Amino acid sequence: MKGKRFGGLVSMLSSIVFAGAFMISSGFAAAPAQAAGPGPEVCKNCHAVAFESYSASKHSTKTDPRSPANAGACSTCHGDGTAHVKAGGGKGVGGMVKLSTKSVAADAINKTCLNCHQADPRRMHWQASVHAGRDVACTSCHQVHTSHDNVRDKLTQPQVCFTCHKEQRVQVNKPSRHPILEGKVSCSDCHNVHGNNPKQMERGSVVETCYQCHMEKRGPFVHNHQPVTEDCTICHQPHGTTIANLLKSRPPFLCQDCHASGGHPVQAAGLPTGRTTGTSLLGTVGRGCLNCHTNIHGSNSTQNSATAGRFRR
Amino acid sequence: MSKRMKQTFKVTALAAALLSVYGPVLAEGPENSVSIGIGNWSNDRAQRGIYDGMRDSGAYGLLDADILKRDDATGTWLGLKARNLGLDNREIKGEWLRQGDIGGSLEYSRISRDQPFIYNTGVQGIGTTTLRVPTPSITPGTGANVELGTTRDRVTAKFFKNLGVGLNFNVSFRNETKDGTRGWGRGGAAEFAVEPIDSTIRLLEATLNYSRDRLQLSAGYYGTSYDNANSMVTTSLTSGASPYFLSLPLDNKSHELFLNGGYNFTPTTRGTFKASYSRVTQDEGLGNFGGTASPLAPPNLDGRLDTTLLEIGLTSRPMPKLSIVANLRYRDFADKTPVRGIVFNAANTPTVYNTPFSYTNAVGKLEATYRLPQAYSLLGGIEYNAQDRQVPGMGTLYVPFRASLDETTYRLQLRKSMSETVNGSLAYLHSKRDGSSYTLPGDTLEDAINPLNIADRKRDKWRAMLDWSPMDKLGFQFTIEDAQDKYSGMVGPYGLQDGTARLYAVDASYQVNSAWQIHAWYTRDKTTAREITQRDGANANPARDSGAVAEADKRTDLSETGDSLGLGVRGRVSGRLKVGGDVESFRSVNEYQQSLTLLDGRPRYQSNFAGTLTVVPTPNITNKLLRFKLFAEYAVQKNADVRVNLIHERWSTDDWSWMMFPASGPTPWAYGTTTDGTTVTAVPKQNSTFVGIRYIYRFQ
Repeated sequence: MKGKRFGGLVSMLSSIVFAGAFMISSGFAAAPAQAAGPGPEVCKNCHAVAFESYSASKHSTKTDPRSPANAGACSTCHGDGTAHVKAGGGKGVGGMVKLSTKSVAADAINKTCLNCHQADPRRMHWQASVHAGRDVACTSCHQVHTSHDNVRDKLTQPQVCFTCHKEQRVQVNKPSRHPILEGKVSCSDCHNVHGNNPKQMERGSVVETCYQCHMEKRGPFVHNHQPVTEDCTICHQPHGTTIANLLKSRPPFLCQDCHASGGHPVQAAGLPTGRTTGTSLLGTVGRGCLNCHTNIHGSNSTQNSATAGRFRR
Repeated sequence: MSKRMKQTFKVTALAAALLSVYGPVLAEGPENSVSIGIGNWSNDRAQRGIYDGMRDSGAYGLLDADILKRDDATGTWLGLKARNLGLDNREIKGEWLRQGDIGGSLEYSRISRDQPFIYNTGVQGIGTTTLRVPTPSITPGTGANVELGTTRDRVTAKFFKNLGVGLNFNVSFRNETKDGTRGWGRGGAAEFAVEPIDSTIRLLEATLNYSRDRLQLSAGYYGTSYDNANSMVTTSLTSGASPYFLSLPLDNKSHELFLNGGYNFTPTTRGTFKASYSRVTQDEGLGNFGGTASPLAPPNLDGRLDTTLLEIGLTSRPMPKLSIVANLRYRDFADKTPVRGIVFNAANTPTVYNTPFSYTNAVGKLEATYRLPQAYSLLGGIEYNAQDRQVPGMGTLYVPFRASLDETTYRLQLRKSMSETVNGSLAYLHSKRDGSSYTLPGDTLEDAINPLNIADRKRDKWRAMLDWSPMDKLGFQFTIEDAQDKYSGMVGPYGLQDGTARLYAVDASYQVNSAWQIHAWYTRDKTTAREITQRDGANANPARDSGAVAEADKRTDLSETGDSLGLGVRGRVSGRLKVGGDVESFRSVNEYQQSLTLLDGRPRYQSNFAGTLTVVPTPNITNKLLRFKLFAEYAVQKNADVRVNLIHERWSTDDWSWMMFPASGPTPWAYGTTTDGTTVTAVPKQNSTFVGIRYIYRFQ
């Protein structure tokens, strides 16, 4: 079995190496030269609003040798405007590039930005990201000519993400949720949307990402609950649910997706008529199964009890 | 459901319009401004106010600032951003940087979380590590009301320095203390307990980045620590009987070294790699469990988790119409904690062991996109994930385990882009997961279940998106998603059988004229799950559990259906006056359909369940949220506005989680029978109105 499984990977690796060799030998384009241009003082005569935001932005800081202000200003991103000015302006006249996905391919837009911003380690793997592979452009989410880029503000960032992620727009309004609407947790706290980690997580895995705030779940515990060590999203939907503690489903149903032990673990769901200590009556209400299995993420108990491994202490 | 198949759309005028609708509840000021004001909530907001620092009715100060200044001569920026200074969830950040050279920031942020329930209890010692549960029980409702909740105080410091020749140094440090209390259980019985929370998280990351021409490298250190002031809670009845010792998470720390890089072989071909190694350790003493501790149990765990990550990738556009992404990823999570006996029998033979789990994932991915005429493109991809999983070799198994899992995922997508009027995509994903044979616990029922995270699974997902702008002023966005999971296994019939998720969404925006804009959206989402298991009729304690019940095949159909909509308008009445209004509505219905097929003649349900012995309802639960928002902003002078906000919020639920159902009618949940008596009351409805006014001053 193992040989077959890893054989598949070896085959894929061979394909990648072959593809890589093919790619390396067949690059077709040259790096675009930075264009000269008439300069922002000329551009502002017609593009006053854009000029104003540019002038107030980091892009215009002349003391930074890396900034567009020292590399052609407007023409760094929009191309040489000489012909455009000479022709008296006009949409697209003179080969000007408006970085809009309605007229320019996403990877061309991204290439413009990455000329400078690839150096950021968070964007080092952009080309392999899901977003890049789906033709998302930098300008799909970022507004360059503004004093307030919504996606870079944790209070307004989720609204940008909801433009495509409709399900999450609903989930963050459910009763059990992270403080996303309040701007205390933002999408980019958990996701590096410029990277290529699984699920575009901020760190190398789901659990490592969650541990950034929920480190008490990391353990290792004496008694580890296996799914906890593997992936928090087996039981939790972090964007929001109708069940307490972001659970995907309600006990006992959630627990019974894995546990079928005889006795009370396979109890039917029901609502007790009154106070009870019956374990077969307590799996649905209150904290459900967690009424007793209270340390469900892991326990360090050495109590001499046959049930010590069942997260009750 | 995985979101990896999510396709995305471009932010259009439509998106920008929606953003303005669903922005912050309370308006924030523009950049380079200070705003000060006061607001008042008319009623408590037990549920909706759990995070925003405005849970209780009454007046709140509204104070925000956002100031950013640049000295053009030196390229030096100075920034100050403050939010919610008048509220409990306040935050403030100061930033200084000489662009491209050196800079730093210091930020403080508080996140408070209040439990939405009212706890009335006689439990003594709440907030401490010694709890006493009343015996005999207090009469429910006669205890003291306590509020539970936590507060996180986070301080983050960042610094960077450009070292020249393409080198940059970055360091960030975060210190976060978490204090408070959380609803818990006493473990040995369904009695109320409270977890005292007093812990500190620290994260330190230092990276040295190199970027020159074609090469980018990033090397660094990432270290974390978790320190818990408490390691255990001692609980007993007030009589001193029934001592239980509840363990708490223990201190742990991690160290990670990493090296990431990318190299542009050609302008269209890029190679990348990642390498990291981390070690987590947990070696705090396991605590004194009194006379109940296993005398032969180790004094500490010597816990150690080692994680190795290696990844290489290649992206390229070997020809103008073809782009390719290839990636290989290897991640080894090795729990190297020694396995030792924790609990022993009378003969000093261990019966319970600690349970380390290790995983190794090897993932290969290949994806290609081909550009078709008229700005269409076709994407195809395959991903293969081979996972090795540790099966416990000592102690008792409670669920089946598998030593390996394999999952292959295929993706296909057709996209249309670069159009002024119609863009969109249609995507399909199919994946199949299976694995090795199961290692079984050896129990009739336990052997027959396929745990959901390792069961064989087939997944099919569709997603269609359409972005349509029939005219400049009018835009629509349509989304349809459908996902189907089917589970099976080699062991038995029990566990999750299948699940579905569907979503339909439409967004629209209309620019009436240069001054007025309208936006609206509607989403319907529905998820379902079907589970099968067998209810065991032979309860361990029929008397306590209100009678023995029939053996039964149990089938449960779970579903959640949501309907959400929003409608908003923004307008400029005059040169000085801006107004806007929004309506948002979220409604979800959860259904719990349970059916039993009896396998013997005993009763269908325990007599102590609400309903009848033949029909026990678990009623549907409906959650509703309705929010109206209005604002008006008037320019009292060139650089100053007065803004008035009005919010009306209505939330309701019939969630029965914290209720009991005697014949006389539902009552709040009460813990214990002869002991405890703590009640937990959920507030089923809240209607509250906020009125706020603030003065906004803009620096010119």
